[in-house]
Parts: sequence; C-alpha cells; structure tokens
Amino acid sequence: MTVQAGRRAGIEPGALDSALQAPLGELLLALADDDFVLGFADSEWTGIAPHLEEDVAMSSLAQDELGHASAYYGLLAGLTAGDADRIAYDRPAEAFRHCRLVDHGRGDWARTMTRRWLYDTANAVRLEALAGSTDRLLADLVVKVRREETYHLLHGEAWLERLASHAGEPRRRLLEALELVGPDAPSVLAPLPDEAALVAAGIQPIPSVELIERWSARIGPVLAGLGLALPPAAPAALDPATARSGHGPAFLALYTEFSLVRGLDRAATW
Amino acid sequence: MTDPLALDPVLPERERSRLPFNQERSHDERYRAFEEHVLAGGKVEAGDWMPDEYRTSVLRFVEMHANSELMGVLPERDWILRAPTLRRKLALTAKIQDEVGHAQLLYRVAEDLGKPREAMIDDLLAGRTKFHNVFHYPTRTWADIGVIAWLVDAAAIVAQQALRDSSYAPYARTMKKICWEESVHIMHGRDVVVTLAAGTPAQRAMVQEALDRWWPPLMQMHGPRSDRAKDRDLYWRIKAKTSEELRQEFLGIYVPRVRELGLTLPDPELRLDPDTHQWRYAEPDWAELRSVVTGHGPASEARIGFRVAQREETRWVRETILGPVMAA
Repeated sequence: MTVQAGRRAGIEPGALDSALQAPLGELLLALADDDFVLGFADSEWTGIAPHLEEDVAMSSLAQDELGHASAYYGLLAGLTAGDADRIAYDRPAEAFRHCRLVDHGRGDWARTMTRRWLYDTANAVRLEALAGSTDRLLADLVVKVRREETYHLLHGEAWLERLASHAGEPRRRLLEALELVGPDAPSVLAPLPDEAALVAAGIQPIPSVELIERWSARIGPVLAGLGLALPPAAPAALDPATARSGHGPAFLALYTEFSLVRGLDRAATW
Repeated sequence: MTDPLALDPVLPERERSRLPFNQERSHDERYRAFEEHVLAGGKVEAGDWMPDEYRTSVLRFVEMHANSELMGVLPERDWILRAPTLRRKLALTAKIQDEVGHAQLLYRVAEDLGKPREAMIDDLLAGRTKFHNVFHYPTRTWADIGVIAWLVDAAAIVAQQALRDSSYAPYARTMKKICWEESVHIMHGRDVVVTLAAGTPAQRAMVQEALDRWWPPLMQMHGPRSDRAKDRDLYWRIKAKTSEELRQEFLGIYVPRVRELGLTLPDPELRLDPDTHQWRYAEPDWAELRSVVTGHGPASEARIGFRVAQREETRWVRETILGPVMAA
C-alpha cells in the first residue's frame, strides 16, 4: 500500500530535485549497462546456439535485453539532455557501470544459462521494487520491462533444471559455471554509491541489503531442490566501490568489438 | 509470427484420399494421375503419394534453400557485435534471428520428405550438399551489412516470391511467411545503404566499395541461363521462373534504385535494351560460380570450419536434450 501511495504522489517528469539527478542517473546507467552488456554477450549465440529452436529463443532474449537497455538509456538521455546512442557507445570502457556478474564472458552454454538465471532472478527482485519507484517515468518503464522478464525466468529455470538433473557433463559444467560466476551474482543488487539518497526519495523504494535477502530467500530453495548451493559472495561483488567497476578482459574485448564501426567516425550518422 | 499452416487451408485427410494418386492403384496409374494433377496447377501435401523423382527434386531444392539460410547467418553474424547504434544492433539481431527461423522452418519442410535434420546438417558440413554462392564470400566492412540485407535479400526475394505458388504446398506456405519477413530485411538494408550514401565521403566510399565487390556474385546468384523445356523443377512446378527471368526481374527493380542513390554498378555493359526490354550485362563468370558453390569460395572453408567447430562445442547440449543417438 505504501508503495502505491508513493507512486501516486510520485515525482513527475521534470520535477526532480537537482540533488537527485546524479544518483538517479547512476541508477539508470546501472540498469541500462547491465542489460546492454548482457544483451551483447548473449547475442553472440545468434546463429550458433546448440540447436535452431534455442537459437531463435536466445536471440529473442538478447533483443529484449537490448530493447530494455535502449529504453533506460532513453530515460537517462532525457534526464541529461543527451543522446541514447552517445551514452551507450561513446564512453571509455571504464565508464561502464554494469555489474561484475555480467562482466564475465558468455563462456559455454552452461555458463550462459547459469548466468542468465542468476541475473534474471536478481533482476526480477530489483524490478519488482522499482515498479514502486517515486520516479514516474522509471516506474512506468519497469512495469513494461517486467512483462518480458517473466519469460526469461521460465526459460532460465527450465535450463537450470535440465542441466542439474543430467548427471555427467551437463551437471559438471553447471557446477563449474556456478563456481565461477556465482560469487559475483549479488553484484546485480549491490548498493550504488548514492543509495541512501535514492532510498530517502523513494526512487529506489527498498534498500539493497533487503533486496539481496529477498533474492537469497527465493533462489535458495530452488538451488537446494536441485542439490546445488550458491557459493559465498565475493567481497568485491557487494562493495559499492567495486561491484560495478574494474572491468575484466572479457568486457574489454566486447567493448573493442562494439566500438569498431562507430569508432571510425563518432561524429557521423550510422 | 504467422503460423504457415494458417496461410492456406490444407485439405482434410478424407478429401485428399479421394485424389486418384492417393488411392490403391498401379504405380503407372498413380504417376499419370499425379502428373495430371500437378500440371493442372494442383498442390501436393506431405502425406500424398508422390513419384520418387518429385520427392527427390523437392527435397534437393528445399534442402539447398535451408542450407543457404543457415549458412547465410554467418557473414552477418560477425557484425552483430559491431553494429554502430542501438537501433542497428536490434535490427541486425532480429534479421539474423529471422534467418535462423527460416532455416528451421525449411528444414522441417525437408524433414517431412524423409531426411532427418541431423543428416542434412552432416551433408552440408561434409560438403555433400550446397548453399548459395553469396554466402561463400567474406564481409569486410559495415557497408557489406547494408548491401547484403538490401540486395542479396532482394535477389533472394525475387526468387522466393515465385515460389509462393510452388506445387509443393508446405514449401509454398513457408515461402509466404518468409517473403513477408524478407521484405522487412530489405527495408533495413536499404536504410543502412542510404544512410552511408548520404553520409561522410568515407562512408560513401565504403558503400561504393562494398557494392563493387558484391555485384559480380549477385549477378551469378540466380545461376546461368537454362533451357526452360529441359528444367525438371519447372516441369513439376516446384519453381515457376528460369534463372534469367529472375535476374531480369531483379535488375529491373534494383538497378534504378541503386543508381537513384548516386551509386554506380561495376559493369559498363549494364543497360536496358529499349527494343527487347531486357537488361544487357557483361557475362557473369560462371566458372567462378561453379568453383564457389562447390566449396572453393574465398570464405567457404572458414565458414564450414566455423560451423563444424561450433557444432562440436555444443554437442553435449544436444545430447542433454535429445539423447546421444539423435544428437550427431
């Protein structure tokens, strides 16, 4: 109820306190960069997924993420009088604010699916909270995004179960993936440096510590049911100073690739 | 997505069984009845009786088409990560997804004719079956992505539109859906080309260079002129037009559109003959076409090698879903 009341009394477009602009910008950038980088990495499967039906499905997931990223960049562009493409493409690699979980390369199919499931479940908790944001534009967008994310969750869970229940190579690869990316999974929900201001204004209605608890409570039983457990969080994945910075070689390679054409002439129209 | 089955009604089993070639008769009687049906414009469904020659011809035709969709993914796929704006990235990913979807639909049509999908992919990767010449060439710049989506897809759609009335009904229905999606690709491709042609001098040079490079394979794409009377695929109405008819149609629509953008085509002989209303052009290099489609194109080995490696890398996933026997 309080969430609903908050929405009705929400911050209308253009009425944002100037002190909140930077923190809201950081939140939008985190949301956008997560989906942008994950969408880019997952789009690498287009044309080479394990079989044709899965290829089409994976490509849809990647397009959804890119569509969401595009919409978040659009909100940010509106906030800063910028341009979505320039924000997305024309930054140095170190200015990207995606979380450590999506900073890993796509890896094999098991890693892609494990990472997707961890991301989708954490993102669902984050979006559920942001649907009640006092920032009306953000809240409205999140409602739309959540509709598509429902299918991502179903797809990810089906693969998690499939891999976990096949002894031998599938389960072994799943365990390896969980060990590699699992410690970074909470980084999706790690606090942003200015979280206190966002929470106080109701832009982020629920503090990240509570979001992480909710997420753990939700995925714990699913993993336990499959005889799995999430490895302990990496300290860097929870620290606001490191959860979304210090990107590794996989992202730098991706960055080089997606800057290749645009970097020929950043002033040109493409 | 349109369900291809929703496009054209399929006769119920009871009605199809009344067709004379579907009844218990001698082979020769059935053959004659089938021939009469097809030559009069009748359609054939997957469950119908059909002569071996017809089944083999349709299968070969559809399989090559499916292979081309599958291999056609690779030249563009290299540029998914490099697409220079959010909109281009989404459009390109969606286009390539469509091609994968087309491959899936076409392999299903071919499977119903009796060849399992994995066997078709085995044959493709072993070089025993073919795919279109244009997919044996490398992509070098972002302009290639525009030229492929605009002109390669346009050349393909000219051929595919003529297949919407194929005598093999499952193929004809699939082509209706595919043609609709291809027309969206052409708009995306044209938009990329127009943007570059209207851009900086370097962008304009980039698109002209791509056009110069892609034009010879495009002229070869529909194949050498053939004798209408001797073409069995035309006889069985699997396809409706000869190579030359398709090429003329393509040139008639797209040469003016390319020139409208102030771009040139690298063929000094290319012109519309005012007397015959046929396009005249320098004879395409048919030896190159033969060499390319038999796996000796500039990117043939790399493309097949990449597919083989990717298939090997994901074999364990197919085995997880399908079991080890099916997932070759």
